[in-house]
Amino acid sequence: MTALLEVRNVKTYFYTQDGVVKAVDGVSFNVNRGETIALVGESGCGKTVSALSILRLVAEPAGKIVSGEIIFNGIDLLKLSNEEMRKMRGAKISIIFQEPLTSLNPVLTIGRQISEGLEFHKNMSVREGMQEATRLLQMVGIPHPERRVHDFPHQFSGGMRQRAMIAIAIACQPQLIIADEPTTVVDVTIQAQLLELIRNITKELNTALILITHNLGIVARYAQRVFVMYAGDIVEHGKALDVYHTPFHPYTAGLLGSVPRLDEPRKTRLQPIEGQPPDLIALPAGCSFQARCAYAIPECHKEKPPLLEISPSHFAACWVSQKGSRSWQK
Amino acid sequence: MVSSTNTTIVNERPHHTLWGDAWIRLRRNKLAMAGGIFIIVLTLAAIFAPLITPYSFAHQDLNAILENPSSKHWLGTDGLGRDVFARLLYGARTSLAVGIFAQLIVIGIGLPIGAVAGYAGGRLDNALMRFVDVMYGFPDLLLVILLKAILGGGIYQLFLAIGLVAWVNIARLIRGQILAIKSREFVSAAHAMGGMGPYITWRHLLPNSLGPIIVSITFNIPRAIFTEAALSFIGIGVRPPTPSWGTMISDGYAVIFASWYQVFFPALAIALLMIAFTFLGDGLRDALDPKMRR
Amino acid sequence: MTRFVIRRVLWLILVLLVVSFITFSLMHLVPGGPWDRDKQLAPQVVAALNAKYGLDKPFYVQYGNFLLGLLHGDLGISYSYQDRSVTQILMQGFPKTAVLGTTAFILALLVGITFGMAAALRQNTWIDYVCVMFSTIFASVPGFVLGILLIIVFSVILHWFPTGGWGSPSQIVMPAIALAALPAAFMARITRASTLETMRQDYVRTARSKGLLERVVLIRHILRNSLIPVVTIAGPEFAALVTGSVIVETIFSIPGIGRLFVQGIFARDYGLIMGTVLFYAFVIAIANLVVDILYGVIDPRIRYE
Repeated sequence: MTALLEVRNVKTYFYTQDGVVKAVDGVSFNVNRGETIALVGESGCGKTVSALSILRLVAEPAGKIVSGEIIFNGIDLLKLSNEEMRKMRGAKISIIFQEPLTSLNPVLTIGRQISEGLEFHKNMSVREGMQEATRLLQMVGIPHPERRVHDFPHQFSGGMRQRAMIAIAIACQPQLIIADEPTTVVDVTIQAQLLELIRNITKELNTALILITHNLGIVARYAQRVFVMYAGDIVEHGKALDVYHTPFHPYTAGLLGSVPRLDEPRKTRLQPIEGQPPDLIALPAGCSFQARCAYAIPECHKEKPPLLEISPSHFAACWVSQKGSRSWQK
Repeated sequence: MVSSTNTTIVNERPHHTLWGDAWIRLRRNKLAMAGGIFIIVLTLAAIFAPLITPYSFAHQDLNAILENPSSKHWLGTDGLGRDVFARLLYGARTSLAVGIFAQLIVIGIGLPIGAVAGYAGGRLDNALMRFVDVMYGFPDLLLVILLKAILGGGIYQLFLAIGLVAWVNIARLIRGQILAIKSREFVSAAHAMGGMGPYITWRHLLPNSLGPIIVSITFNIPRAIFTEAALSFIGIGVRPPTPSWGTMISDGYAVIFASWYQVFFPALAIALLMIAFTFLGDGLRDALDPKMRR
Repeated sequence: MTRFVIRRVLWLILVLLVVSFITFSLMHLVPGGPWDRDKQLAPQVVAALNAKYGLDKPFYVQYGNFLLGLLHGDLGISYSYQDRSVTQILMQGFPKTAVLGTTAFILALLVGITFGMAAALRQNTWIDYVCVMFSTIFASVPGFVLGILLIIVFSVILHWFPTGGWGSPSQIVMPAIALAALPAAFMARITRASTLETMRQDYVRTARSKGLLERVVLIRHILRNSLIPVVTIAGPEFAALVTGSVIVETIFSIPGIGRLFVQGIFARDYGLIMGTVLFYAFVIAIANLVVDILYGVIDPRIRYE
């Protein structure tokens, strides 16, 4: 079974006054139909840019997808014309952005913003679109949707706005949804509700989902597979539970160690990862993680490790993980 | 690894005051500098006019009327044989004087009213601001004309007329500054340290407001210059023998087809001076913007 | 919404009252009177004339009479044009001022907004640089000065346009351009800044992510938001334009209300002065009122106050 989406060795660079920022530097991942994968990493590691690259929403002229292929349903998106790509956006692939307040147009009603895509992709009239928008608002759990559909974004609470964003994303029944940190700006109780909502909807519509997050705590529950990103590269990927319980890259281990866990007794202090992510303009030779890695060996400074197989479904880009001793695993 | 004891700070930021920093930024703004230089050159030319040109503003030479620019009369002569270049320089004195001195009245009225409104707050503030709002409803050029008609006289009355109408913006500005700063914490900190009312105003509020006030005045000056020219053109501004670009224009307007130089140069001078002040004002505003400090 | 409008209309009436009072008072402080001529009239004649027109009555009585007349739409008699009422004279001058003002304003809006948007959408290209340079220059030169320069270049030197007067279309070109230049430049600056800001907003990216046509994104998402600040300044700009038309009408010899005002000042024609000043104050107030209402229509965030 071929994957629904296959991202192959994509490089997206930003050309700035200070130099070339290699935001995404040879990233590959794939999503199967109906599957949920997670794209995990700190802020600035390139996960959002990867998502934008799929939809070709990278801000030109500063940003450019330099090389690679993005195969969706057998078609390379990077080779499509602008018009063909527009037909994909919102209809086959849609995206839920992180900041619902600024991501919604303040002068248009919520209903209109949902029905816009329907008007364009499904040729609905404005009235039909608004009717469908009402139904969608109900689906995402907004009470009194027939009234709310005429409200403006500033009249919605944060959590409701995010639900509206979800409604916009599912409006045309896309095959793939990208959710970019959908819960970062809401508080914890709403986070759980939203994630459950997303999970239920993707299951019901059999939509594939790329869940982008820096919060490893939610990965195991909501994703089948996970891809860990660092400084523009994928450094580890595999089945969510495998990576969660036996991380093979020190960074992944560090991420896991720095997440407070309620289900484990409090034996030691939280272990934050020391140091800062590297400057994407001036990456070091060798592994990008070397400066912060407590286990670095000479090879790490010389050559950048490719993704090395640990098991057919688990890969990690780390020289030390091949050498046997993996003291960061529990 | 970064050790915590032996840290050397590379690229230590040189300590600049707000003014020093602003001056450096202003210097880099070419348009603002061009404007500033133009203003300075014109001011010097106006002040040292007797050294630059042998003619006076009113000297008539009826043998040389409506002449084109020549080596004898650099910008030509007008209908009464007066040298245009000389009239331009002496007229600059009037324009610059009105531009700058009217601001004294503007500040003299606007600053106290704005300060009182902002500082006192409450009903007094409301009443004063309502009055300001009504003033905004007035067509201001007309009001200046009306006031000048009442006051009669010449250039000093013109300062007054302009000032009596233009104070509104400064008052609003000052009030806004005071209100903004009143609510900031360091004022309550100063209060807590026992500082008293006027002390707080002097030490904290004024230095912070100075920037926007300077910018506002820089933009007010060209407006005053324009107002003087317009009023003098109509015949209600400065009185002869006071030189004025506006008077030059109205004098020459009737014979404009015979010789347009005498109308062109004062009009151009007004335009260039106003542009220069606008460039300077823009530059000052960017330079003094605290958000742009690096 | 209707309460808002009612409140603003009441405020408008208050402003007009205060303006009329201040003008009335100032007018009577102007030295001299409506009967000043080159040859002084005999004092008895002056006294008789004053009595005839009620100018010898106490100040508040005069003002009261004026207000009463105002309620009937009567602005009094013109003292320099003795066979006509002020209202009549204003009605004659009004069409010229109205046509000139409206033409100039629409010109300013179209040119300003178009250039401002073009500059923002093509940032850092030559279009942008030219727009910024021109808008900075023309935002500093008022209509009176520009008008004179235009007359010199296009009337005196090139003979393309007449120097003034009213009646044929060619006579409106230069005054309209002279009046429109400054507001156009100012609005171009505001539009450019606002559009640049709006283009960077997240919701524009959201609109694109839905696959909408770029044209739709531009009009429905970018334009509607970036024009909000422009609407806000449109009112004061219109007011400034109308006020500026006073001098421009004088230069171009246009028989509009501006010229009537200037005439009134010199002739000490109380009726004419009052009428023209009130006219301008009214126009300014209406413009601001319209803008306030429009603002509520355009930006839903401030609608529910």
